Amino acid sequence: MKVGLFIPCYINQLYPQVGIATLELLEKLGMEVVYPTGQTCCGQPLGNSGYEEDSKGICQLFVENFKEFDYIVGPSGSCVYHVKKHFDILEQTEDVKRVRKNTYELCQFIYEVLGKTDLGASFPHKVGIHKSCHGLRGLRLGSCSERMDAHYSTEENLLKEVKGLELKTLNRVDECCGFGGTFSVFEEAISVKMGKDRIQDHIDSDVEVITGADHSCLMHLEGLINRNKQPLKVMHIAEILNSSI
Amino acid sequence: MAHADEAAIFNKDEAKVDWHDKALWFVRQKRDKSAHKVKGWEELRNYASAIKANVLSNLDSYLLQFEENAQKNGVTVHWAANAEEHNKIVHSILQKHNAKKIVKSKSMLTEECHLNPHLEAHGIEVIDTDLGERIVQLAQEPPSHIVLPAIHKKKEEVDVLFQEHLGTKPCDGDPEYLTAEARKHLRNKFIKADAAITGVNFAIADTGGFVVCTNEGNADMGAHLAKVHIACMGMEKLIPQEKHLGIFLRLLGRSATGQPITTYSSHFNKPEPGKEMHIVIVDNGRTEQLSREDFRASLHCIRCGACMNTCPIYRRSGGHSYKSTIPGPIGSILSPGIDLKKHSSLPFASTLCGSCSDVCPVKINIHEQLYKWRQVIVKDVPQPVVKKTALKMAGSVLANTKMYHFAGKSARFMLKHMPRFVIYSKLNAWGHARDLPEVKNDNFDEWYKKRKKNE
Amino acid sequence: MNGIKKEKRMSREAILNAVRKNKPESLPLPEIDLGLFEEEINLVETFIDNLKFVGGRAVQLNNMTEIDAEIKKLYPNASKIVSCVKESALGTISINKETEPHGLEDIDLAIIKGELAVAENGAIWVTENDFTIRALPFITNDLVLIVSRNDIYLHMHHVYEAISKRDRTFGVFISGPSKTADIEQCLVVGAHGAISLTVLIV
Repeated sequence: MKVGLFIPCYINQLYPQVGIATLELLEKLGMEVVYPTGQTCCGQPLGNSGYEEDSKGICQLFVENFKEFDYIVGPSGSCVYHVKKHFDILEQTEDVKRVRKNTYELCQFIYEVLGKTDLGASFPHKVGIHKSCHGLRGLRLGSCSERMDAHYSTEENLLKEVKGLELKTLNRVDECCGFGGTFSVFEEAISVKMGKDRIQDHIDSDVEVITGADHSCLMHLEGLINRNKQPLKVMHIAEILNSSI
Repeated sequence: MAHADEAAIFNKDEAKVDWHDKALWFVRQKRDKSAHKVKGWEELRNYASAIKANVLSNLDSYLLQFEENAQKNGVTVHWAANAEEHNKIVHSILQKHNAKKIVKSKSMLTEECHLNPHLEAHGIEVIDTDLGERIVQLAQEPPSHIVLPAIHKKKEEVDVLFQEHLGTKPCDGDPEYLTAEARKHLRNKFIKADAAITGVNFAIADTGGFVVCTNEGNADMGAHLAKVHIACMGMEKLIPQEKHLGIFLRLLGRSATGQPITTYSSHFNKPEPGKEMHIVIVDNGRTEQLSREDFRASLHCIRCGACMNTCPIYRRSGGHSYKSTIPGPIGSILSPGIDLKKHSSLPFASTLCGSCSDVCPVKINIHEQLYKWRQVIVKDVPQPVVKKTALKMAGSVLANTKMYHFAGKSARFMLKHMPRFVIYSKLNAWGHARDLPEVKNDNFDEWYKKRKKNE
Repeated sequence: MNGIKKEKRMSREAILNAVRKNKPESLPLPEIDLGLFEEEINLVETFIDNLKFVGGRAVQLNNMTEIDAEIKKLYPNASKIVSCVKESALGTISINKETEPHGLEDIDLAIIKGELAVAENGAIWVTENDFTIRALPFITNDLVLIVSRNDIYLHMHHVYEAISKRDRTFGVFISGPSKTADIEQCLVVGAHGAISLTVLIV
């Protein structure tokens, strides 16, 4: 199985360790992983700001970079969601359709496509999951608290198999963190307040490490935690699943 | 003022934000509990959505059917193309009866049309009889929520307001006492009213009847005591058959407040002998919204307010920050259709988290419509030059691998080497309250290339 | 006056034409499969639980003859009573179609027959035929509804089937006493309508 590794722009530039963990994890799982070095971004920052039209070149470049792979896997739910949902602005060629269909968020790929849960990781810490909204309500990585479906969670399924890891339940299990891309700067007051409230929920729930499948939310939360010197660590779920402490 | 500015002002009092957030989250939780008890909740939502879609696609014939049946029942039906005409029609009915004292139960439509000021200018007293609406009316404010109009007010504020206007005794905001006093005050108004105005929750095409839902009983107290009952409805309130109420009434109360049904669901079909019943059907921009394929489904709305209660932005910015009759997520997709320029900041007052769409009992794809409105707005409404240039530039840089690598390197270099006071300048809205990520030596790209080399 | 009438017609036509122009292609009206909602529950128990949840009170009686004693026990101070049911002789004020509703302002208690009840939400369906004056169940201070245990239905869907053949004038589902939570979300019973609701299940 040939997997194209999709490393979103902000992870490439700011969180290389998340990209490394994703790559190593996929290789551990026996995948033939290739990172197309021509890749840039999925176009989400533009689309969410209303400049979808100006992002067509970006989207097309994404398709060019990834069209030859069986699967395209990335450690960011919202970027993956953007490819699947919003690449409808491109002409729907066979390449575009295939890329949209075969792009997966990392956890979803491991759980749904490979059918694996136990990845041999160990991580003896109290962990709280931040469920990114695009992963949850976009990709449906888990049941959403608004809907009356049976409970499930892809991230929980994987984290439950990690040795020593203690999963904590939050008071508000899937409230948004307030990042929202450019929302974080244009609606700064609310964005910051939402982030603070999310962090407090984790602290109140006795969490040591906040994790999630979307590092953009985590970047926002980490920025607040560091500024306010709070006793919490932020790690991408790939880093936890790839760890063997 | 844009939503962000209003929200920033609201956020100056963090304790109040927390209080407001918790009050509404409590309602959301009540809704969850209540919906969990219903077998087939998601199927109910599917049916409700499909019925509303059917209504919109046959709205003309349903309207005619409704009109014919209502007229057979002895109800007078009026049509208003816009707010002004609606107000004129209501006024003319009141004039005919020489009605000077009016009681009105909750109707977002009459808020939208600004009926009260219109009638007051003609020397007519209009009393809003829903307790929450009466509170905001006395405070001379618009409702901040469509189901809980005074949710932004603390009980102590209501206490002071009632002392001033109703002559109540100071009571430390005792809700029991204040409600009892409001009951007395409003009973008097009901008894003396010449005419009653109500909204319409559902209008049924095949019977010509309509349903009004309240918890307080204020619509009924008004309508059954006064000689004239005027019911004002947006044209999208229609449903095809009475049995469809079985779907909608199961969803409405639970979605709104977590009650299994509102206390009173009143089915009006015929006026009492010797009395008059009027229905005013209002367009006011709805047919235009109907023409917009991407935004048409916003007309499914049954005004339950669930999207407000669940919205993490609404809960932390308050209804008044939206500066539109209907605040919150649903308002943010309806209002741009009425005045794009005025409401152009609203579709951006969202993280697109999608909670609103999942909570909506009629499955309006609210967050997808917010995204779509953003695309319309940057085309049709002049944008701040800086924002526009930056995003357009990002569009070209990110479409070009080489330019992207260069830009990425420069940005990382800046982040790493610029002095803190430059990075955290006033211009950096990210950095007011948040640290920027710490920059590592290599980006992933560079790391990967080195790894390849060493293989 | 003619001017207004003409304008009125114009708006009607203009609105209808705009709808015809702007509406999407016809979408089907779904057939509702009630099987999706079916559940095996005890109707009386569920009804009583839900009635309590919405602030009402349920009393189960063995037969009609117990009604008046029960009401006297529950509302010992009620003196101005309107009874709209033949099974109760407690009425002290009689009403008919011509009664002026404003005169009912200081009624203590109204006793009305409920046509049917809804288990899922504790609501009772009553119509104008049951209470003669529309304002009565709202303007009365306290309200007693009498319902047969054989007339309790599971869901709203079934109720609408059951009432589909009625003479449509005015009818209302009443679920509990009048209430409000408009002051800081504090639930207060007794807003504008009846301050208490008792349902006698016979």
